[in-house]
Amino acid sequence: MKSFFRKLAWLTQRQAKEVELEEELQFHLQEEAGEREAQGLAGDAALQAAQRELGNLTLLKEDTRATWTWIFVEQFIQDIRYGLRAMAGNKAFTAMAILSLALGIGANTAIFSFMDSILLRSLPVPDPKSLVILSWHTPHRGMHGTNRHDNSYNDPNGGFVGGFFAYPAFELFRKNDSVFSTVFGYQGAGELNLSIRGHAELAETEYVSGDYFPGLGIPPAAGRLIGPDDDRAGAPATAVVSYALSQKRFGGPANAQGQSILINNHPFTVIGVAPPEFFGADPDSSPDVYVPLHANLLLSAQDYMASTYLDPYYDWVVPMARLRPGVTAKQAQAALAGPFYAWARTADPTRRAEDTPTLVVREGADGLDGLRRTYSKPLYVLLALVGLILAIACANIANLLLARAAARKREIALRLSLGAGRFRIIRQLLTESVLLAVLGGALGIAFAVWGIRFLTLLLANGSENFTLRAELNWHVLAVVAALSLFTGVLFGLTPALQSTHGDFVPALKELRTGVAGGRGLRRLGLSRILMVSQIGVTLLILVASGLFLRTLANLASIQLGFSREHVLTFQINARQAGYNDPEIVTFYDGLRTQLGAIPGVRGVSLSNHSLIGTGTSGTGVIVSGSGSERYDSSILTIGADFFSTMQVPILSGRAIDARDRSGSPMVAVVSEAFAKRSFGDRSPLGEHLGMGQECAQCIEIVGVAANTLYGNLKKPSPPTIYLPFAQGAWGPVQGMYYELRTVGDPLNYVNSVRDLVQRADQRLPLSNVKTQGAWIDQTINQEIAFARLTTAFALLALAIACIGLYGSMSYNVARRTSEIGIRMALGAQRHRVVWMVLREVILLAAAGLAIGVPAALTASKLVRSFLFGMQPNDPLALTGAAVTLLTAAILSGYLPARNASLIDPMISLRHE
Amino acid sequence: MNKKAPSRIELMQGTLDLLILRTLLAGPSHGHAIAKHIQRASEDLLQVETGSLYPAVHRLEAKGWIGDSWDLSDKGKRARFYRLTALGRKQLVAEHSKWQAFSRAMGLILDPVEEGQ
Repeated sequence: MKSFFRKLAWLTQRQAKEVELEEELQFHLQEEAGEREAQGLAGDAALQAAQRELGNLTLLKEDTRATWTWIFVEQFIQDIRYGLRAMAGNKAFTAMAILSLALGIGANTAIFSFMDSILLRSLPVPDPKSLVILSWHTPHRGMHGTNRHDNSYNDPNGGFVGGFFAYPAFELFRKNDSVFSTVFGYQGAGELNLSIRGHAELAETEYVSGDYFPGLGIPPAAGRLIGPDDDRAGAPATAVVSYALSQKRFGGPANAQGQSILINNHPFTVIGVAPPEFFGADPDSSPDVYVPLHANLLLSAQDYMASTYLDPYYDWVVPMARLRPGVTAKQAQAALAGPFYAWARTADPTRRAEDTPTLVVREGADGLDGLRRTYSKPLYVLLALVGLILAIACANIANLLLARAAARKREIALRLSLGAGRFRIIRQLLTESVLLAVLGGALGIAFAVWGIRFLTLLLANGSENFTLRAELNWHVLAVVAALSLFTGVLFGLTPALQSTHGDFVPALKELRTGVAGGRGLRRLGLSRILMVSQIGVTLLILVASGLFLRTLANLASIQLGFSREHVLTFQINARQAGYNDPEIVTFYDGLRTQLGAIPGVRGVSLSNHSLIGTGTSGTGVIVSGSGSERYDSSILTIGADFFSTMQVPILSGRAIDARDRSGSPMVAVVSEAFAKRSFGDRSPLGEHLGMGQECAQCIEIVGVAANTLYGNLKKPSPPTIYLPFAQGAWGPVQGMYYELRTVGDPLNYVNSVRDLVQRADQRLPLSNVKTQGAWIDQTINQEIAFARLTTAFALLALAIACIGLYGSMSYNVARRTSEIGIRMALGAQRHRVVWMVLREVILLAAAGLAIGVPAALTASKLVRSFLFGMQPNDPLALTGAAVTLLTAAILSGYLPARNASLIDPMISLRHE
Repeated sequence: MNKKAPSRIELMQGTLDLLILRTLLAGPSHGHAIAKHIQRASEDLLQVETGSLYPAVHRLEAKGWIGDSWDLSDKGKRARFYRLTALGRKQLVAEHSKWQAFSRAMGLILDPVEEGQ
């Protein structure tokens, strides 16, 4: 302790001690010299002998100083100060190095954090490892029933995977308790009308079986959660609300418990609140309200009936189970496959034996994987791109450090000869590298936080209930930072070790002659290799950006067949608020008239989907004159004025109008594509069509509309039938989308529309309020996000590569100052000098392109599925990228070249 | 002082500290004099490198075993004199007996015949 304070005291008296040491050593020298003189040596010779005996004075001082204080800490501070000074002395270099590193680290961390939250995170429940997901596998695609979860897909290994089961199958799993400790099921109800204290809104609702909460093992935040007794036909109507909803609507979980609410106009009692971190078993959704499975009889009568619970051919329950301890998913599958197959055979005897579904049991720790299937590939592509950027950034740092080490060879040699310890110099160079990496890393964290916010915005792109929650992932950050640190240390240390090794006299003698030794040449070679690979990698990113930009441009220039400008859409569902037939039609029509009276609204109509963005309907249709053949057709039910509002031309006949009511003759307008397919060159007017047995050909075609896209932006306009919604030929009227053609910005009308609907019926919440343009953008949001992101990446990569090129060329020119001076003294023209430097840049760029173009051609095939209207080897994207890169390279090489040509031969030669 | 000294002995690690402390037992002395005294007293068998001497002296001072003061040398020049502190004296006694035990042990093993004396 004492020594601690003494050292502390000494630290403050450094200067004095320094002087004392000097005097003490001088005294020693004189004593020694005096002694030598006494032995008979001459004065000068005696002093020299004494000095020789003393040895390396600087080293001796350094060793002595080491005993004074915490020399390590002191030297460390000294190194950092020196490092900062060196950085400040070369601001452009430092800023670029730190910036490129920070951008690399930030982008990688942001993307990785997203991947982690989508691809790797487990459900926030106890013991997620024992959860399994049950699904079936069939050789051909085929589904019967209702499913709102994205868990059915084409198996990449052939066949089709479905993730929802008939209730009897679910009961079969439940009975089989030898492998499972619990089996529970759920199904989405979609957005239902939730009314709390007279205020209505739409709430994402989930049907859950009685074992859902006990099986997942999550505790309530308040009250109790739904249990087996709640999930019975005839049980009191109970609901559990999410933590967020309890805060938003009740002022906290404790207040929510016991409250009465209306769901689709049916009274329910809130019995409890789910914990804050729980978002259901499907990461792609986050329910606001949970109700028992059997509540679907009350709330979704259009999809479920009491008989649904006995129907073996109507699939709808998404099952999950918890394995008993020691049982694996494979064993569970083996145990249940037999009973399930036997059940499936009896469930549908008409099915061919080879089409019978087989049971698949998979690990379910992460919940459903629809979200992962949707986003994993785009994220891998982005990850590859940011990985490449990090590689460019690291190459930059490496190049920079190499160049600097070469430039400091003399300095280091000088310091060694003055008595600096080798370890000490290495440590100092290391400190500088680490300092650079640390500053880059710190800034990288800021970029990562910002990048995550940016990415969330970009990926959600207007979607209201985007459930992806990415947080800054510190593990990821640590890995990326470690990587950059490693680069810094590796490329900072290697030259440091080399230049402190062995004989430093040649390095001291080597003036700025520009004649590099063997080792210098090799290092120059390494730096060239780094630059060429940087250019090659940058080309890859530029090509990617070009491909995605062209894809977006192709999508934007698609002919829609209707006008997307100045259209506001919103959805209401009067049935959920308690309206029944026939007053629901009257209500919808009345609202249409009222909306049309808003000043500035030029046209109003309604349809069961908006043309693009909200989904499609369709079925097989029989037409007159074609026997019983069914034509796959898209169907849209519409109100009056639909075609004029959406500006779709009627080619012949008439449009759907107010005459087409319930009770009047059933009519339809068909699209040109439909007419052509079903009737060829004949006029379809007066022909009939039908969809079901009770209406084989009861609908008369009264008009033909021009083709429009419907549902999918990337597919040609489908053969479409437009039916009047009021006639109910397409089943009972449910929710409808209104379309308002406005003067000026459609969003200016949102408040008037809200007021109007509120006045019409305050139980009716508006949803999906957005412009038709926004719907379209939302369907291509991945393409938009990709185009924006990759453009940002491309600019970033280009900037980093140019900085690297500029830095290295400037350094080369500085090294060759005297050589260039001699050339000019011997009569070289200025433009020859410029050309000499530029030629090197062009050679490097050409080499980079020679590697990059084949690589880009290969790599772009990987993103084929992301492209629209073009091939991966799109010549325009490729040429564009190459020309951009070449131009940027020449520009960044021109400045150093110009500097070289401005060298004054006299000055540079005197410099020797 | 570059004459050949074939019988010169390398100082063992840690022994220089003990020698310095022992030298200072006779009274305050400056660095050069300490080195010369060790050399002479060991009949030139031990030679103290200046490069080790000063770091060692400063280390001992940092430990509080010796103190320093500036004084005039016998030739009338200003010099830094080191002297033993009470702590250093204690340390010297401890180190000394440790060394004696060590050298006796070495002797017992290396020259077992002369054990009887």
